[in-house]
Amino acid sequence: MENKSLKRVTSIWIITILVLFVASILLGIIMRFNQGTKINLAPATFYAYMTTHGLTMVGIWVVAGMAAVHYLLTRYVKVPLSINIFAMLFTVIGVVLLWAATLVGHFHAAWTFLYPLPFYTAWEAWATPVFLLGIGVLGIGWFVWAVGMLVSILKNYSLSQAFAWQHFKKDNGIETPPFILIATVSLIGVIVCLLTAVLLLILYFAEYFSKGSFTNDPLLMKNLTYFFGHTIINEALYLGLATLYELLPEISGRPRFKTTWYVALAWNCTLVFVLTAFFHHLYMDFVQPEGFQMIGQIASYLASLPSATVTAFSVVILIYNNSIKWSLANILFFIGVMGWLIGGMGAVIDATISNNFILHNTLWVPAHFHTYNAMGNVLFSLAFFWWAANEFTNTHNDRRERFKTILLLVGGFGFVLMFYIGGALSIPRRYSVYPEEFTSAAMLATAGAWFACIYLLGIVLMLIDIVKKCTRVFSSSSV
Amino acid sequence: MEKHQSLLVIFLILAGLIASIFLHIYRSSLITYGAEGMYNPTRKRYFFFLILASVAVILMSVTIPDSPYFMFADKQPSKVVFVAAKQFSFILSNQAIDPKKGGAGENIEIPVGELVEFRVSSLDVTHGFAIYDDKSNLVAQTQAMPGYINKLRWKFNTPGTYNILCLEFCGVAHAFMRASFTVK
Amino acid sequence: MHPRIFFIIGIIYFTTSVVFSQTDRFNRLEENKVYQQVANVVVTTPTEQVALSSLYSRTPLIIALIFTRCTGVCSPMILNLYENINHLQSDKNFKVLVLSFDSMDNIKDMSRFATRYGLENNKQWIFATTSQIKELNISIGFNPIWDTSKKQFNHEALFVGINKDGYITKKVVGIRSYTALADMIKEINNEFVISYPLPKINMLFSCFDYNPITGKKKPSWGLLILLLPFIITCMLLILLVKYTRKN
Repeated sequence: MENKSLKRVTSIWIITILVLFVASILLGIIMRFNQGTKINLAPATFYAYMTTHGLTMVGIWVVAGMAAVHYLLTRYVKVPLSINIFAMLFTVIGVVLLWAATLVGHFHAAWTFLYPLPFYTAWEAWATPVFLLGIGVLGIGWFVWAVGMLVSILKNYSLSQAFAWQHFKKDNGIETPPFILIATVSLIGVIVCLLTAVLLLILYFAEYFSKGSFTNDPLLMKNLTYFFGHTIINEALYLGLATLYELLPEISGRPRFKTTWYVALAWNCTLVFVLTAFFHHLYMDFVQPEGFQMIGQIASYLASLPSATVTAFSVVILIYNNSIKWSLANILFFIGVMGWLIGGMGAVIDATISNNFILHNTLWVPAHFHTYNAMGNVLFSLAFFWWAANEFTNTHNDRRERFKTILLLVGGFGFVLMFYIGGALSIPRRYSVYPEEFTSAAMLATAGAWFACIYLLGIVLMLIDIVKKCTRVFSSSSV
Repeated sequence: MEKHQSLLVIFLILAGLIASIFLHIYRSSLITYGAEGMYNPTRKRYFFFLILASVAVILMSVTIPDSPYFMFADKQPSKVVFVAAKQFSFILSNQAIDPKKGGAGENIEIPVGELVEFRVSSLDVTHGFAIYDDKSNLVAQTQAMPGYINKLRWKFNTPGTYNILCLEFCGVAHAFMRASFTVK
Repeated sequence: MHPRIFFIIGIIYFTTSVVFSQTDRFNRLEENKVYQQVANVVVTTPTEQVALSSLYSRTPLIIALIFTRCTGVCSPMILNLYENINHLQSDKNFKVLVLSFDSMDNIKDMSRFATRYGLENNKQWIFATTSQIKELNISIGFNPIWDTSKKQFNHEALFVGINKDGYITKKVVGIRSYTALADMIKEINNEFVISYPLPKINMLFSCFDYNPITGKKKPSWGLLILLLPFIITCMLLILLVKYTRKN
């Protein structure tokens, strides 16, 4: 019975996330067409859309990862459904508050709401506290969910087992499944960055209610903002990877991944690297201590080692020269790993301080994070959605869905390529329109928008299939 | 080739390499009988790790000394330009800028080949101070953060007009914030 | 001790350790004439008459501008400088040149002035006059104004940092904390200080204060806030482990 309820709740997540994803892509396409001068939005409207787009995208892929991990976690431990529903309720409230602030109140400080911009209200005065409250509400919901899942893991595995430390010994006793290890590491990371968001909000509200009696340090606030923002989107990626470790072998008809000492080492190290890499967002703040700048580059570089040599390599070993049962789900995982590695190349290039000097806040930045997401983590989550939709309805869909795959590949990589070229041409990011001297900028933006339309078509076709199946979960005859 | 273009080329080569490898791996999996897997994957993994780790260490040791924090640190600038960013303009001046007076700034001329130090701050929100040459290539940048002075040292070896754009989202007219100076 | 107690202590420690940083005045006029050469005037010390270049070419200088009949800021500024130098105990090379900008002051007046602070035999301090004060003032951007009613000069408390090549590398206006002095000492020794904060007015937490001993930034309360999420998560993990073991 509870399994049926969990399937229904997960289906609601899947449908909601996909619908919001389509809406958010549309906002992104509108933005790119504006930058391509095909449409003409007022700058305030453009930036309100940009803020909404960023918030929605980050939010939905965080909850997608959490929902997938919750569902798969029940294979190993009992997880209360109440925390999932609690998070859903708070997510809905949070999203409504955020959309009200941006689309009704015209709050447009970007999803990074960099201090002190939210206090320079070029929008409805109520929009700033409502925005901050919206972030707070989301944070509470997700915090309870993450802690709840962690408690469920710790009820069955000791802390050292959850971290798979026993795998460093020869006689390692109980095996910690890779899924449990990665879920533990990711959930702890989520908790750290949500606590960071809490501190950030406390400082914001303290200044807001002080009515000018005291101010915050912009440098501290920027560190907190990127500690939260960078880390949470990376944790969403790791939640997606947890799903990959669990499902990819199963879907492919291959033996499951095992936790070895290097898998345990890689993921333990990843926890440290992901919590320290955020310094790479402050390279151009020369006031940051040099030590932090160095940590930023070192952590960003080292983070690529476990991801490439453990996760990606393990996927390669799983598939190379082995007979694989291909279906859309594992194809999406496979392309997602490729997209993640390609995005990683773009990220490592930008995370090099001497390169960042000429790439920071150009289009190279959205280039790499859109690659990581649209062609990486999003595909991991879509793979889960596709698999779940079939699983929930006992459908076995072995079709590779070539057309959908081609749409995502062409649309997705074409879209991000326009960004990479724009970054190499030093075109600034977050411009509603581009200055005349950037003669290719409008053309690149328009081309990017068309590629995004192709990608969107692939998503919509998938959405139709997935939603049809997920809605069947609510009929009484479903499993 | 400018550095920007080189980085794009490097990226495209690496991305193409990754895509080719993945295509090769995918095709290798389309066999339906006699599947063998990868020969000696453990050794290959160690080897892959060693190569990547070596590349990472080499790149870090080569690139970190080129960071802007150490640029011209042992040289004496011959000129200081003061920059105060605000919504939505840059004030440039040869004298320190009094935030209470603000002002429109002045025309700045920088001698070619001489080391100049930009002292950059903001009067309101965080902005970006980014210098573009007349080919619209980003040459140098730093952040303009309220409450802090960031010093950016640069030597302009090519005369001409250089533009300054804001590279940190600062509000509705972020895309229209600009200034310029001349190098003679 | 029960882990919950550590958690509670941590929260109390955090909430009672709110610190408002000091409110230094900041004068942006201290930015003018930077990187320009100081005028090579002739100065008269108790022992010699010498060109300024002979002094700064030996060791970098901090020039403090006073006049001996001053009833205002001159005494506090010298005392403040003396205290800050003693506090810093810097191993870097520099001397203080206390120069009068009043043409009525002679070298005996300056020696008496030095005696007031017990500095007459301190080798790091040089008390001097110059007949070329106008030239010097123009080169350093100093403009004292004579107030005939008070019979005093109205002037800024100005310290000018000169490196061994005679360039003005840093100016500090006002009675300031040792952190400003530490920066000045670094810059006259040609160490590049890539960034510095402006004085914080009513700022809640800041990341760093300068460590005057090493010349590096040292953690302040703001850094604790940056570490807090990690610390709280560790405490939470301990609590969760205890809770799950009990159940």
